[in-house]
Amino acid sequence: MRLKIIYKTISLIAILIALNFIYQKWFFENDLQKHSDIVNSVRNIPNNADIIYIAESSNKTFREDDKDKRAISDFIGDYYPQLNLHDISNPATHSGIYKVLLASIPKENQVKTIIVTLNIRSFDASWIYSDLETPLQKSMVLLKEKPPLYNRFLLSFKGYDIKTKKDRKEQFLEKWIVDEFKPSNEFQFKNVREWDDWLATKGAKKKENGEYDKENTELACHYVKTYAFQIDTMTNPRIQDFNDIVELAKERNWNLVFNLLGENIEKAKELVGDELVMMMNKNAELLVKYYHNKGVTVINNLNSVEDEQFIDQNWTTEHYAEKGRKIIARNTAFSLKKWYDKDFVGVEIKNSKNYFIPRRFLIAS
Amino acid sequence: MIFNSIEFILFLPVVIILYYLTPQRFRWVLLLAASYYFYMSWKVEYIFLIIFSTLVDYFSGLMMERQSSKKKRLPFLILSLVTNLGLLFFFKYYNFGAENLNLLFDKIGLSQDIPMMDFLLPVGISFYTFQTLSYSIDVYFGRQKAEKHLGYFALYVSFFPQLVAGPIERFSSLTPQFKENHTFTYENFANGLRLILYGWFIKMVIADNLAVVVEQIYASPENFSSLDILTGISFYSIQIYSDFYGYSIIAIGSALIMGIKLMDNFKTPYLAKHIAEFWQRWHISLSTWFRDYLYFPLGGNKVKLSRWVLNILIVFIVSGFWHGANWTFIIWGSIFGVTYLVEHLINRLFKLQKEQKPFSLQHLMLAFKTFIIVTIAWVFFRSQSLDEALQVFSSLFHNTNLSGTELSTPMFVWVFLILFMLSDFLLYNKRFDKWIAQFPLIGRWSIYTILIFSIIVFAGVEDFPFIYFQF
Repeated sequence: MRLKIIYKTISLIAILIALNFIYQKWFFENDLQKHSDIVNSVRNIPNNADIIYIAESSNKTFREDDKDKRAISDFIGDYYPQLNLHDISNPATHSGIYKVLLASIPKENQVKTIIVTLNIRSFDASWIYSDLETPLQKSMVLLKEKPPLYNRFLLSFKGYDIKTKKDRKEQFLEKWIVDEFKPSNEFQFKNVREWDDWLATKGAKKKENGEYDKENTELACHYVKTYAFQIDTMTNPRIQDFNDIVELAKERNWNLVFNLLGENIEKAKELVGDELVMMMNKNAELLVKYYHNKGVTVINNLNSVEDEQFIDQNWTTEHYAEKGRKIIARNTAFSLKKWYDKDFVGVEIKNSKNYFIPRRFLIAS
Repeated sequence: MIFNSIEFILFLPVVIILYYLTPQRFRWVLLLAASYYFYMSWKVEYIFLIIFSTLVDYFSGLMMERQSSKKKRLPFLILSLVTNLGLLFFFKYYNFGAENLNLLFDKIGLSQDIPMMDFLLPVGISFYTFQTLSYSIDVYFGRQKAEKHLGYFALYVSFFPQLVAGPIERFSSLTPQFKENHTFTYENFANGLRLILYGWFIKMVIADNLAVVVEQIYASPENFSSLDILTGISFYSIQIYSDFYGYSIIAIGSALIMGIKLMDNFKTPYLAKHIAEFWQRWHISLSTWFRDYLYFPLGGNKVKLSRWVLNILIVFIVSGFWHGANWTFIIWGSIFGVTYLVEHLINRLFKLQKEQKPFSLQHLMLAFKTFIIVTIAWVFFRSQSLDEALQVFSSLFHNTNLSGTELSTPMFVWVFLILFMLSDFLLYNKRFDKWIAQFPLIGRWSIYTILIFSIIVFAGVEDFPFIYFQF
């Protein structure tokens, strides 16, 4: 009986190898286009690219009245007209997705520098456990560096991070309670839940007639839920994903830049107060220091964009109007000078009030 | 942990290997731990419900056995019934009751407002409560000796392959098998794997691909032509069959590898010639449960005609209500009750009792008629509300002029659908494992290869949990 089982197991393995060949040759491409068309953004990169800019919606979102509606990556390209700069932009993506996309760049591609957006919101529980995560994770399954039939097997048997909306919500609601702020004496509140409750009860801002301003209170609460967290480099899943990107860059010999995006600090201060701004800056500084120590060039744009330049005034996003995108592009372009100094061309940002960027926040390299 | 998940693919072999490595007298510990782990993978807290139900029925059984008369046993039976049905009613029917009472209060001008509860229905509660109820009732009637061993009894209530969606097993058929010393046999192993493979195929390739089309139709029937709606509602008949049949044979296959035989739950129901036969072939473990624990106690057919008619209607309506707390399920059950009676009457009046030759024209036409009736009933079953069901029917009859079809069914789905229907003909009164075993090696392995390839490459990728998990 044992021999019979061994013999049949070997036959099964041989069949699976043959099926993998059949799948790869006649079915895989169709599946890729159906379930993982995100791969096309990587395929569109030419072999002679010098720089790749990988980002979420912040790269390409513009305001209707922008005179120049081009992307941040295009503005960076203006500083280096001789270089071949390409972007991979997909809404709502984050480091977990970037690492799979970057790993799928063919080894023969000559790209030298990778710029990855570092979105501080993506470290927050409500994004980590967002209901957008299931479709995103699903779209990544076929791109993994495994035999295509194995990847399709994972897709069919739901072998990825699949959870219902309800489950995801439960996850981040729980995180808002169990993740307590440290040191406790520095903060008035124990966790996000307490802070949110307090703000919802007190009201964020009174209108001139002293009435409770519901809209602003809701927005303030949203700011707390989005930014009131302290990154733990040991447990935050985004850290592991960025670490994987660092390892991949070393392996492929890429210059790596993390572009920490600007957030609406002015609004955070106005709606919630200094405590939240301090927390945001501490997280940014931690990331800068952490990845600087790993040899990554980190651009800290957290405070770089003024309130007026944020397109979504009633929500937290990194969608900037023209000037905002240009400021992020300028800071990024300057960070590339150390590798491409002779290709650098100065570009003037019109109507730019010299938005103050403390040097220590700007570049760590 | 659902059967078509990576977790289950890892879980089952581990349990099976440990099962055969464990001495027989300790196997119940392993299976009980595995079953509780399996159940807790949905929601940890709900394990306490099973434990509570188990303890109440275990002690009720022991106490009943100690009593000399039915009268003295009655309080313990009531305790078991109240506990199990109480849990079932609270979790499954509370909101339905509250909603309808609030509507009633509103109509008669009372300002009462019964609060609604927001909780997740414990998965499989309808199945394990019915399973354990059958034990209590059997002990009460003296048909079953009370189980002294709490571990075996707990395993009977929670045995993982059939815990969340059946087959609903009787104590007398399942528990003795736990106590037998099963040695590993190649035949059980091969047959079990064959059933699992075929179960995955019909769930993942047939049901989940059809579900995509059905979802579109039921989301906005008003936008689709009559032909599309007809396709959609017919697809649902196949979807629910392949979904539940798939689940059942994976359960049967998983248990079979461990030497434990579960009852067949489906026998090509859409080849039934009439509704009575349909219920002998569809969800057999539930229909026999209702027959033994509701229909017979009501008097069965050994009563006056009017009472028998009432008995039939009661059984089907309760069966509908068992499926869910919604008027749609009650109507679904009523349709079966009424058609059962009408068919019975016609058969008696026109003396149509003679047996048809399998696959004769008469058989196929009668089967088609049954399929149409069942498909109409499934519209109520699938709809979230009566309004939704009526909207489907209204669109079916009024959208004849809509030409541009929005519905797209991939060609491969049609191919697999035809293959599946063909396999139903081939499997008429047979089970897949036995059927495939008669082929020569090359033929068998060719079918395995096609099934494996289809499961991996053509499985639906949307997340459609087994339909019967919600019950």
